[in-house]
Amino acid sequence: MPEQAQFEIEMRAGAPVLVVSGDWTIHTIGELDDLLRPLRQQDGPKPSKVDVTKLGDLDTAGAYVIERILDANQGGRFEIEGEHRAAARLLVEVTKHAKECGKPVKPEGVVTMLLERIGRGLVNVYNETLETLSFLGETVFALGRAIANPKRVRWLPTFAVAESAGLNAVPIVMTLSFFIGAVIAFMGKTILSGFGATIFTVELVGFAVLREFGVLLTAIILAGRSDSSFTAQIGSMKMTQEIDAMRILGLDPIEMLVVPRVLALLVMFPILTFLAMVAGIAGGGLVILTLMDISPTLFLSRIQQNVGATQFWAGMAKAPAFAFVIAIIGCRQGLNVENDVISLGQNTTASVVQALFMVIILEAVFALLYMELGI
Amino acid sequence: MSPSEALTPTLDIDEDLLAIRLRGVANRFGPVTIHENLDLDVLRGETIGIVGGSGTGKSVLLRAIIGLRRPTEGSVTVLGHDVWEDGPNGRKALDARWGVMFQDGALFSNLTVRENVLVPLREHTQLPEKLITEIADLKILMAGLPIDTAMKLPAELSGGMRKRAALARALALDPDILFLDEPTAGLDPITAGRFDELVNELKETLGLTIYLITHDLDTLRDACDRVAALAGGKVAAIGPLDYVREGATGWLADYFSGPRGRAALG
Repeated sequence: MPEQAQFEIEMRAGAPVLVVSGDWTIHTIGELDDLLRPLRQQDGPKPSKVDVTKLGDLDTAGAYVIERILDANQGGRFEIEGEHRAAARLLVEVTKHAKECGKPVKPEGVVTMLLERIGRGLVNVYNETLETLSFLGETVFALGRAIANPKRVRWLPTFAVAESAGLNAVPIVMTLSFFIGAVIAFMGKTILSGFGATIFTVELVGFAVLREFGVLLTAIILAGRSDSSFTAQIGSMKMTQEIDAMRILGLDPIEMLVVPRVLALLVMFPILTFLAMVAGIAGGGLVILTLMDISPTLFLSRIQQNVGATQFWAGMAKAPAFAFVIAIIGCRQGLNVENDVISLGQNTTASVVQALFMVIILEAVFALLYMELGI
Repeated sequence: MSPSEALTPTLDIDEDLLAIRLRGVANRFGPVTIHENLDLDVLRGETIGIVGGSGTGKSVLLRAIIGLRRPTEGSVTVLGHDVWEDGPNGRKALDARWGVMFQDGALFSNLTVRENVLVPLREHTQLPEKLITEIADLKILMAGLPIDTAMKLPAELSGGMRKRAALARALALDPDILFLDEPTAGLDPITAGRFDELVNELKETLGLTIYLITHDLDTLRDACDRVAALAGGKVAAIGPLDYVREGATGWLADYFSGPRGRAALG
């Protein structure tokens, strides 16, 4: 059981002496600190000698606390009275460093910090845009080379990604799309019945699912599902220097890692979109057929005549663009990971957020384009 | 008993003089046996260097001693507490009495160096924040880092500085035993030499017992009182470096008499 640390200031031969007793270790000095702090500020003669005769255990924390009382007014010079196995060594060691301890490292003004942050943010946005564009160029170039010479394509990883990012996403994409289709049908029935036009629910479901939701829903799911995994996979390879090893061995990381992912998504994205459309129409159709007085024949013929293949292609045309953007953002963020865990987390978040952002922007661009084209 | 007289893995002395006591330790991974019936006594206040080829289980043994992986058989006693049998209270007492420096530092990457050193201080003491901050800075300085590294993140430091920062964290609570896993691996010879000096200095000042895993012959020569060589699942040889070197056979003989061994030991 440690003995309680105690101290006294005695006057010996006209000079104050700090007499310490008990154990002065990190576990016992807690209560003393409050008593000792005011001692440093107080006026009057302060001890330049310390008597360690009755001192028990001592560690660096204890020595630091003792030294501080002495150091405060003697510029680091003090005398030790009595014998102790460690006191002299520890006190000398602590004195070497004590002055620099606990100083706050240059506190900055709030305004400076705010301005710095804003500046950094702006520069980051600029750099990010520039780098994404240059990465896009690099990838397009590598893709071109791969297409010109299909032997260069790494088919094994391409199929592996096609399976994990494409095939494995089929259930979730179809389920969600099914429900979205059903929701649209419910909404259409409720609102359109006010105009006595419930029959147009069929067209609503057809337009919405084929033109917008099939492809958009697929994009959102893949942005969340695949981008995070692309970034985490490539990012952890970067952290373990695997990417550096590839470069040194003469392998192009873009060709090894990015091209397979882009190719896999370019193929799988339209397939997933198609399945999403089928599921969406099925969901909407189920609601319409069960809740409204519309026969399957009527449903299908109205889809065929009033919605038509144009809307299907209008939706499908977006798929490759979305696939490309999603794959590229995920890979780029992965390659940008630095050598610490924080940046892995930050880049994974950034890749999902950026991909969603770009998908919505592209969606808006397509909407404008189709409007101009009169589709 | 001085370390230079202790030439057997088990020592017939009072248990209070021992920092670590291993008896009949076995470690198996499925069919693979790493250690079998391993005994080792480490004296208080000595620096023991553990050497052995790859796969002789230096790190596995360390993990068994510091309570990270339960040995398949045998008992591990550190400072009088059985690491695996004394229950949570025994372990809790030890948490504040040993410091471990992992091979790659294992600093928390989202905390600054100062905050890293503060972690054990916050967890195991009830001292005011101002005082523990000062103590943390003291440890950083004692580990030989300039004070401005205190506010840096581990990612901003060089390899050698990260090791020093890890040492500062291991020393935070003034432990009785310091475990160092390859402290000089990956450092340039000059930095490694300084690190050895630092370890010696700290041991001198703080009266530490140091358990040191290393391949570095310079470290064995400059920083260790005794060397224990692991081979065949046991402590094959133990004693001062020269003693172990003279009796070396097999891998150990190659290790000491290879060009690097001759260069370091002469």
